[in-house]
Amino acid sequence: MTDAVVDVRELRKTFRVTEREEGLAATLRSFVKRHRKDVNAVAGITFRIGPGEVVGFLGPNGAGKTTTLKMLSGLLHPSAGEASVLGYVPWRRENAYLGRMTLLMGNRTQLVWDIPAADSFRVLQEIYRIPEGQFRSTVNELTELLELQELVHKPVRNLSLGERMKVEFAAGLIHSPSVAFLDEPTIGLDISMQVRIRRFVAEYNRRTGATVLLTSHYMDDVVALCKRVIVIHRGRLLYDGPLADLAERMAPYKIITATLHDGAASSTDLDAYGTVVSREEGRVTLRVDRQVAPERTGRLVNDLGSRLADISVEDPPIEEVIDRVFTSEQTTVSA
Amino acid sequence: MIRTYRALLVAQIQAASQYRVQSILWMLFSVIRPVIFLAAWVAVANSQGGQIGAYDVRDFAAYYICLSLVSNLTMSWNAYDFEFEVRMGRLSPKLLRPLHPIHYSVVENLVWKLTTIIPLAIVLVFVAITFDARFRTTPMHLLLFVPSVLLAAALAFLSGWVLATLAFWTTRVHAVSTFWDRAAFIFAGQIAPLALLPGPLQTIALALPFGYILGVPAEILRGGVTIPTALQLMAGQVVWVVIFYFAFQRVWRVGVRQYSAVGA
Ligand SMILES: Nc1ncnc2c1ncn2[C@@H]1O[C@H](COP(=O)(O)OP(=O)(O)OP(=O)(O)O)[C@@H](O)[C@H]1O
Ligand SMILES: [Mg+2]
Repeated sequence: MTDAVVDVRELRKTFRVTEREEGLAATLRSFVKRHRKDVNAVAGITFRIGPGEVVGFLGPNGAGKTTTLKMLSGLLHPSAGEASVLGYVPWRRENAYLGRMTLLMGNRTQLVWDIPAADSFRVLQEIYRIPEGQFRSTVNELTELLELQELVHKPVRNLSLGERMKVEFAAGLIHSPSVAFLDEPTIGLDISMQVRIRRFVAEYNRRTGATVLLTSHYMDDVVALCKRVIVIHRGRLLYDGPLADLAERMAPYKIITATLHDGAASSTDLDAYGTVVSREEGRVTLRVDRQVAPERTGRLVNDLGSRLADISVEDPPIEEVIDRVFTSEQTTVSA
Repeated sequence: MIRTYRALLVAQIQAASQYRVQSILWMLFSVIRPVIFLAAWVAVANSQGGQIGAYDVRDFAAYYICLSLVSNLTMSWNAYDFEFEVRMGRLSPKLLRPLHPIHYSVVENLVWKLTTIIPLAIVLVFVAITFDARFRTTPMHLLLFVPSVLLAAALAFLSGWVLATLAFWTTRVHAVSTFWDRAAFIFAGQIAPLALLPGPLQTIALALPFGYILGVPAEILRGGVTIPTALQLMAGQVVWVVIFYFAFQRVWRVGVRQYSAVGA
């Protein structure tokens, strides 16, 4: 993969923070000697992303996702390591790079609040030097995809959170960037708005072939958009590979759900087949080791015979897998 | 670049139109101080037979009117805005676009001046009549005033940005700019025309940048200096503009590496 769009090698960011202690004595002492502490927000991560990929960037709060995206978009200088995006070193912030990249943050605004978005678009047109024809067609396309018709003529301060996010998306993509870093783009939005933003990102990627690196705490975003995920924890890479394999690597068990005809599931002892996770009216959920899943399923079908109405074998829910990843101290796994 | 400026101007005028009243009130507020000094000097001059040095009461009036105008035309408040932007992470979206953040601020600055210049002129005409101001301005002075006030505005703007850029390192820019403003108060010609400062202070004032922002263009506009002196003072302005231009470039380049882009 020599034509990687995003190429990150051993990237690190250490923030030096001054610790403020409480109390008068400590305050006085701090005039003489300040207590500084190093926070290793990103502790050496390496990955590559090819053109047109949509990659999910996952990790718990404070994992270092936003810090990484800020370095890749050129806002932050790293403490060590290298990165190249579209062949540019991001933190040199060359205009040629800035003109082909976007960083969208779900909880930050980049529009001017006092004027309608349509006027901000005009300013962006000049800043990015977008030719009139291209500008018109991009605005039309974004307006259609995001249903912006009325929104762009109202002052931004009068828009709801969801409406503003759509407009922010349009502003962030008005220069048709070939790389988009999306930091929690659906945060705080209601379910239907989340779905719309998701569809939009997928459609944008399909139409333009843009490369997307996206963080989200909503697994639905990731499942809907990303074939590949990169998982970091405490600034270190934990997993890089297909989303589909994440469960297999990180959660060494399967979930078997058996539904019984007689509704007497509560009285049937199934502990011998695996760990019973839940037991409802007529339905039992079991957790079994991945390797023995086929065999246990076979035995269940055999033993329960005609009492069995339905049986399914699945990977655990993605949230559960991710949670396992973060709570257990695993070493790096890459697929 | 011209097209970019035009687009930014249009947007900024639109945004600023909602704050027009605030802008004008602020402008009026900024005129109060020179008028107070004017009144004070008039009182002192009257008690000493109507003349202090080369200034009589009517010269003082003209001087402080010119000073108010120059002060408005060279006003720069970056240090305050910028520290806020850095602390709140507001700088980030600007840094992500292929346009240096300084340009947004140039435009804001221009628009504020455009909004306030006419009401200010009205106020100043009123003050001029009240105090019977006497201007010694010749056409040559007027001609020189234009580049001189532009240089002064550039100097105020660039030095303001150098101070503002300190926000990358410290959250106490406010303290530094307060100190700066205090120094300007003495050495820029606000408390008294530079020509009336005691000898050593005058020498110091001419070696510092402050006077080149206010006192120098104000005296040129009033016609209070000879043409050769005016040219000499303008050379001083050029030197300071060059110094602050390079200082800004350096400080910015180093400072932006420190930027921690706070805020999620
Ligand atoms: N400007 C800063 N100064 C000091 N520490 C910082 C700064 N920015 C981030 N950190 C610290 O770096 C670590 C990583 O933060 P980061 O914002 O990258 O996490 P994240 O993965 O985006 O988390 P979340 O999911 O909560 O958004 C955290 O411990 C955070 O406190
Ligand atoms: Mg984050």
